[in-house]
Amino acid sequence: MFAVETQKLTKQYGKVYALKKLDFTIDQNEIMVLLGPNGSGKTTLLLILATVLKPTSGKAEVMGLDVAAQPTQVRKLLGVAFQEARGFWRHKPADILRFHASVCGVPKTKAKSTIEDLFKDLELWDARNKLFMHLSGGQAKRLEVSKVLVQRPKFAILDEPTSQVDLRGKRQIWEKIRELQEEGSTILVATNEVREAEYLADRVTVLDRGKFVVSDSVRRLKDSIAGGDIVELEIDTSEPKSLEKALNLIEGTVKITNAEENRFKAYVSMAESWVPKMTEICYQNKARIHSIRITEPSLDDVFLHFTGRTLREDDK
Amino acid sequence: MRNVVRLIWFDLKPELSPPVWIVMEWAVFLVQAGVYGAIISQLVTNPSIGDYRQFYSVGLVIMITFDMASHTGRHFVEHAHEGRLPYLLSLPISRAKLFLTIALQGATELALMLAVPLTVTLLIIGNLTWISVVACILTLFFLGFGVAGLMLGLSFIAFKSSDLYTAMVTGLSAIIIRFSTVLYPFIVLPSQYASAAAFSPLTYGSDLVRFILGFDPAILLDPFYAVAVLAGLAASTLGLGVFLAQRLVEGVKSA
Repeated sequence: MFAVETQKLTKQYGKVYALKKLDFTIDQNEIMVLLGPNGSGKTTLLLILATVLKPTSGKAEVMGLDVAAQPTQVRKLLGVAFQEARGFWRHKPADILRFHASVCGVPKTKAKSTIEDLFKDLELWDARNKLFMHLSGGQAKRLEVSKVLVQRPKFAILDEPTSQVDLRGKRQIWEKIRELQEEGSTILVATNEVREAEYLADRVTVLDRGKFVVSDSVRRLKDSIAGGDIVELEIDTSEPKSLEKALNLIEGTVKITNAEENRFKAYVSMAESWVPKMTEICYQNKARIHSIRITEPSLDDVFLHFTGRTLREDDK
Repeated sequence: MRNVVRLIWFDLKPELSPPVWIVMEWAVFLVQAGVYGAIISQLVTNPSIGDYRQFYSVGLVIMITFDMASHTGRHFVEHAHEGRLPYLLSLPISRAKLFLTIALQGATELALMLAVPLTVTLLIIGNLTWISVVACILTLFFLGFGVAGLMLGLSFIAFKSSDLYTAMVTGLSAIIIRFSTVLYPFIVLPSQYASAAAFSPLTYGSDLVRFILGFDPAILLDPFYAVAVLAGLAASTLGLGVFLAQRLVEGVKSA
């Protein structure tokens, strides 16, 4: 059984489709990252799975429970960290987490120690008794994620969990999300931060304008781009033309350019299998390699490859 | 039900620590009834009304009830705008219990707000008995539920424009209070005002409370009619409000 499964899931606002016939699955105990620019339907999908929004048509199941027909049972399994950490302006972080833990059925003693640990680990200790309205954006975001971490749900939904958080804070949150997975949770993260997706994802699902584009592991998505890896070479050879010809024959080579006499730029499909073959050829041709620099495609490149647009294009 | 209580207490706690808002409302009531009520009762000498301060104090209690009920409806809209509503909707509580929480929280706030004004009013009238207290509270809660439901029903406007909603509610509040029997009895209203007052829920709430407290029935509307209107209003507007709000927040209507 999939942890999450949607079939032809559609959400329509008037004539606009926020999601259009989305078929999508998450395996048990997997971290699935939803990647897409603003307006791609990520948050709509999360809100439907969290039973906050109802789908226009189609079906969505969480742990085998239909989100439209059994919403209360679904809510007992999930925890959500929303994109915007807002709401309880006149409450203190300690009160907010205690309340959340009690409503979600976390035993009092366990909640107390977990909340204390989280405040320390996520650097919220000094802010624990401030009013929410006095927290910085980063602190508020960390508190939002802490709700899920206190609850330890079977299915955790995190919408841009590290936006507004500094680099150190991002790392801390990512580690906590990984810990949650190790305890058996299934996790769905929506982000448009490529680094976050690369760090966390077991699989990435790319959404664009409410439609499913592609879903696979980060490695396979990158490898699926023909010529996505760029290998820059500096080679000392007396016959650059014949070497270029030989390199062009290596399996996975898409294009070789020879900008300067001894400098080559190879666009290849999988650098890790291409480079050993290249060194072998250089050895046979008595060409001396001075330097090799490999650049792999980013998830932004993956998005560009599959949609023809960059992740940031819609933000402009 | 424990989660309902937790949620109510979680929301009420900041209001009560310290309870500035409630105490200020009590203070305003005491000044209005004690100073303004005493002076205006010298000017209003209609024999069918009797001591106008008594009539006026009941009117103030009705206005507090209306304000609190409107506040409950507005609160819901603010929750949606502030982003708190999605959080509440994601908690492991059924929708019915969540809306019950909103209603009970409004009722609790209303009870706190009315504790002093209602007691003082009953003392001024000289009718501080268990029966009058219970009957008045029931009437005021019915009125409160009706008004809160009305505001919830109007909340769909706020999802389009919060400014328009605020303007609508402010205007509507002014009209509902002025065109009612909150501050003057039905019999002294000019006919065109009287026909408008017949549409204000406050007319039925204030006349029913005054009937319970022993005011001359000749200056009031038929109490059975008032009970029927208030009960019907509470059931219909609250039901409609919850229905509309649920469809709006869960995005069904937009489909």
